[in-house]
Amino acid sequence: MNTEERTKIAGNGDWQPRIVAFFCNWCTYTAADLAGVSRMKYAPNVRIIRVMCSGRVDPQFVLDAFARGADGVLIGGCHPGDCHYIEGNYKALRRERMLRRMLREMGIEGARFRLEWISASEGEKVKSVMNDMVEKVRGLGPLRLPERRREWDREMAEEPGEKEVIAHV
Amino acid sequence: MSSPELATTPKIGVYVCDCGINISGKVDVAAVVEFVCKLPGVTAAREYKFMCSDPGQDLIVQDIKEGCVDRIVVASCSPLMHEATFRRAVEAAGENPFCFQMANIREHVSWVTEDSQEATRKAKALVAAAVVRVGLHKPLERKRVRVHPDVMVVGGGIAGIQAALTMADSGKHVYLIEREPAIGGHMAQFDKTFPTLDCAACILTPKMTQVRAHPNIELLTYAEVEGVDGYVGNFKVKVRKKARFVREDLCTGCNACTEVCPVEVRSEFDEGLAHRKAIYRPFPQAVPNVFTISRKGLPPCQAACALHQNAQGYVTLIAQGKYREAMDVVLRDNPLPSVCGRICTHPCTAECTRMKVDDPLNIPGLKRFVADYVLGHEGGYHLPRPQQERTEKVAIVGAGPSGLMCAYELRQRGYQTVVFESLPMAGGMLAAGIPAFRLPRHALRREIDNLEEIGVRLRLNQPIGRHGIPLETLMKQYDAVYLAIGAHVERKMRVSGEDLPGVWGGIDFLRRINMGELVTLGRRVLVIGGGNSAIDAARTSRRHGAEEVRVMYRRTRAEMPADPAEIEEAMHEGITIEFLVAPHAIRRSPAGLDVELIRMQLGELDDSGRPRPVPITGSEFTTACDAVIATIGQVPDMRSLGDQLGLETTTWGTIQADPMTLATTIPGVFAGGDCVTGPDVVVTAMAGGRKAAISIDRYINAQDMRAGRELEGAHHSHVEVDTAGVLMRKRVPMPAIPIDRRRTFDEVHTGYTEEMARSEAARCLDCAVCCDCELCATACEPKAIDYTMKDTLREVDVGAIVLATGFKTFDARRTARYGYGRYPNVFTSLEVERLVNASGPTGGEIRMRDGRAPKSVGIIHCVGSRDELTNRYCSRVCCMYSLKLAHLVKERTGAEVYNFYIDIRAAGKGYEEFYDKLLKEGVHFIRGRAAEVTDWAMNEAEEGRLVIRAEDTLIGVVRRVPVDMVVLAVGLEAQSDAEQVRRTFNISCSKEGWFLERHPKLAPVSTYTDGVFLAGACQGPKDIPDSVAQAGAAAAEAMVLVDRGYIELEPNTACVNEEACSGCKTCVSLCPYRAISLMEEKKKALINEALCKGCGVCVAACPSGSITQNLFEDEQIFQEIGGLLSYA
Repeated sequence: MNTEERTKIAGNGDWQPRIVAFFCNWCTYTAADLAGVSRMKYAPNVRIIRVMCSGRVDPQFVLDAFARGADGVLIGGCHPGDCHYIEGNYKALRRERMLRRMLREMGIEGARFRLEWISASEGEKVKSVMNDMVEKVRGLGPLRLPERRREWDREMAEEPGEKEVIAHV
Repeated sequence: MSSPELATTPKIGVYVCDCGINISGKVDVAAVVEFVCKLPGVTAAREYKFMCSDPGQDLIVQDIKEGCVDRIVVASCSPLMHEATFRRAVEAAGENPFCFQMANIREHVSWVTEDSQEATRKAKALVAAAVVRVGLHKPLERKRVRVHPDVMVVGGGIAGIQAALTMADSGKHVYLIEREPAIGGHMAQFDKTFPTLDCAACILTPKMTQVRAHPNIELLTYAEVEGVDGYVGNFKVKVRKKARFVREDLCTGCNACTEVCPVEVRSEFDEGLAHRKAIYRPFPQAVPNVFTISRKGLPPCQAACALHQNAQGYVTLIAQGKYREAMDVVLRDNPLPSVCGRICTHPCTAECTRMKVDDPLNIPGLKRFVADYVLGHEGGYHLPRPQQERTEKVAIVGAGPSGLMCAYELRQRGYQTVVFESLPMAGGMLAAGIPAFRLPRHALRREIDNLEEIGVRLRLNQPIGRHGIPLETLMKQYDAVYLAIGAHVERKMRVSGEDLPGVWGGIDFLRRINMGELVTLGRRVLVIGGGNSAIDAARTSRRHGAEEVRVMYRRTRAEMPADPAEIEEAMHEGITIEFLVAPHAIRRSPAGLDVELIRMQLGELDDSGRPRPVPITGSEFTTACDAVIATIGQVPDMRSLGDQLGLETTTWGTIQADPMTLATTIPGVFAGGDCVTGPDVVVTAMAGGRKAAISIDRYINAQDMRAGRELEGAHHSHVEVDTAGVLMRKRVPMPAIPIDRRRTFDEVHTGYTEEMARSEAARCLDCAVCCDCELCATACEPKAIDYTMKDTLREVDVGAIVLATGFKTFDARRTARYGYGRYPNVFTSLEVERLVNASGPTGGEIRMRDGRAPKSVGIIHCVGSRDELTNRYCSRVCCMYSLKLAHLVKERTGAEVYNFYIDIRAAGKGYEEFYDKLLKEGVHFIRGRAAEVTDWAMNEAEEGRLVIRAEDTLIGVVRRVPVDMVVLAVGLEAQSDAEQVRRTFNISCSKEGWFLERHPKLAPVSTYTDGVFLAGACQGPKDIPDSVAQAGAAAAEAMVLVDRGYIELEPNTACVNEEACSGCKTCVSLCPYRAISLMEEKKKALINEALCKGCGVCVAACPSGSITQNLFEDEQIFQEIGGLLSYA
């Protein structure tokens, strides 16, 4: 599906990207609080889930978010060397590398998934990363994974003889 | 994913906070409430103005008590702000505090969203996510952990002192860590304090004394925290106590050491306006009242010397005129100072830091001077005598520098040494190879006499081997043998005619001359080779009557191994050098000799790393001469040793010896010097002698010969020196005899005079600060000085930590337009603090750099503060201290004082009144940021003064104010290593580098790391009253933690579902706290709850999904994701 088609599906133009963010408690979540305290204004499309460490982010969380209709997923952790739990962010980095490959296989564009190091004092970076990601995802158009899954299921059901095969994401 | 069936359907209460208008101003709270009412499981939904207030919390308590809710969601501010508050309310109502979830609709929604509709939508999504999540929350118990009763304060400025005293007074055992040698911080540098003008020392000194005397304070100065392990209540802090080289328990602070110390460096405490010695205490009232030696390690010169001759030591002492002491330092490492001072190739100077400024020091020239001076004026020098005598005997073969050095080192250890020499005189190459115009024989003789004086026995004319005592006999009669036979056999050129009469081997030629034999050379001499001996042979020929001396070298000048200074001298004396030529054949001719030469060009690099000379075919030419001296390299005379008894040699014809120990293939026989290295310089040969002596000592005592010898020999020093601002001063030239006297064997260089030597020595930059002269040790009566002291590491257990690491002042050079560092009379405020201080470098007199008192002074405010180019923040203290300095300057000198300010910030008790007083005192105030300071005079009044250009914004004109002295009110900045300290303590910094407090208003001394608190200016610019107040607050916070005796940990630990665990061990290696182990019998993972910190890394990694993290269960997060995306 190209961008044009996506935009068409987006239809009447009131489509807004929905991005799920997993922020670590110590650095990035705090930075997001700082952005608030500093009254910075940024795009409202990112919804934050607090985890204790970016290393807690199970690859399934990312896949689940896409499967439930997220247009993008953002993970935020402490800068390398700064992890509150010594090295959890490195674990997150390893998983990000793996997930990135996997998402590419699944046809999900690289810009929809992002890992960022944002320290507690970088409220400004929270703002710029969020705005940037929202803009990029907006450019890609809606992912519509749940709808597409339904379409695939329907196609499979109409295909004679292979009814038992159901596509999973 | 569908939500699992719950035993009982939860009754969820949702409480949405208006937060005044903070939330309701953007989010349609009523709409959110209406929306949540429709969510499944929600039994109550309320809006309230301030949920965190008592009536707000009561709403929750009441609903729980009435039984209409058992799960609570509060949608308000960040959980980092009020999660604890609401959990308490839930608990007070009798419900488990963890059946609660917060939705952050203030920091993450209302404050950051422009559009009201969007904000409401986002708030709905966040609340919905919390609602579906809280349904899965389970009651949890908090874990209690004991808190260690001791506390630590890091930083001994006024804030640290105050915090330490407060806690110590309440009975806590306090570790106070200070990285400088004394406590006091910046406050100790100040004279008066604003606005009361009380004397800083008068109020600080008693507190410092109290710290020293307090039974509950353990003061660790000159110490730094290296690492912090553990967690709140149970920190393990690793403290590095730096070696101060003075024992704190013995030093009495008598100051006798500084009187003898020859090294002067800029005093940090006096901001460089005065000097201190290498052994110092920052100020007389220092606590602790003990001295410290600044010792940075081996200076570059010393490290570069294969003997590690302490050059900085004797150079510094020469500069001070302490020649006898300098000589003692030289003799510590070198028994041949007169020799080395003349002919050493001085690798030390090649590393000299002075090279970054102008020329390297003439280190050997200074060594020669001191040796000559002590000989001429102080009755000569003598080698130290051995402290003990031993019976073991060591035979040394060869009385060259390597053999003599080995004999000296072994004598120092008490061994009986006999040196066998086949020639009739001692000295080896020094006597046979080096010509007298470079090394007069009396100088060499003196060194050998000295060695004989301490008991080194010489047996001259006594060859070993074929023509004398067999090596085997020596091995039987002596406990060890050192072979240092040198390399005295000239290598053959392998050209036809090289055995003709008139063709000399270089070393053979030099030896004959040096031994006084008659050698007939003729008028024209051709020298083949490019090493030091080739140059020596050429210069000797010249002195021996040759008119035309030409040196032929097969590579270019860049590859020539001879000392460049010697090459210079040779050319100066009229010797010509031809490059890229090599001999081809030598023929007898009627007039003498015809030498056929061939031109070369440089090719590929060879094994020695130099380009290989390649002959150019057809470029042969012939030149006529009377004698040829071939000096292309020497090899040891192995044949003379006779039966070698299994001694192995290399392909180069040298003896094979272990490079680290110099042991040969025969046990007990060692070899070194030229016979191992091939022809090399004197210092290398001597280093070999010392290396062998160490090995022989260990061999005789049956010790490990290899242990700990990595740093022997020349290496690169790690000492770095900042040479910025060092004035250029060229090397003092070494006096030499005129060229017309260079046809005799008189010594060419006559040596420095005393005046020259002191002037040259004064150029030393004191790279390592302490020069290891050890004079302080001789002056110290209580014997407190210990050069062998090493850094020590200590682990300290504490329950809480207060950080009070302070600030640094802004580097005024960064604002170049104010001319600091360019104009001598531009000062920083901290420098002026020292000038006005009665114990400062001028005794409280305000003086310019030339010593005059200023008649007018301009104070420029906001240097490095409120400035887009440097720091945007206000440093808070500069206005007030500028007023204070203005008052003091006016009071002491009567000068006109001009303040150039943007705004006067006098917010504080008595501050505005102080400003008022200054206005009345007649100090001038000019409102406007100063544009620049310049010495460019536009009229007579400005001539020779500094002119401050500034816009006076009150009268709207640009003014030029000529003054004598400019004071820059520099701002405060975070310490340059704040980033590193932050990492050590696992806290955060603001982007300016100040340590980040947990909450700017409600938790100003706490950090995000529980148990770590902040005091003073490390958190942000602060004056003394604020620092002290904050220190008290930090101390109180720490004591709250320690006095309660326990802490409750968040129950967010992980646990393993044993049935599902496959025992794959993936989690075991992932846990950074080693909390997970594998139960051997069951082959299941086990998490030690006491060690688990709740990061959840293992949960995410578990392939079978059998690890659960409390409060962050997979299912809870899946629900949260679903909640975020399903609604709105």
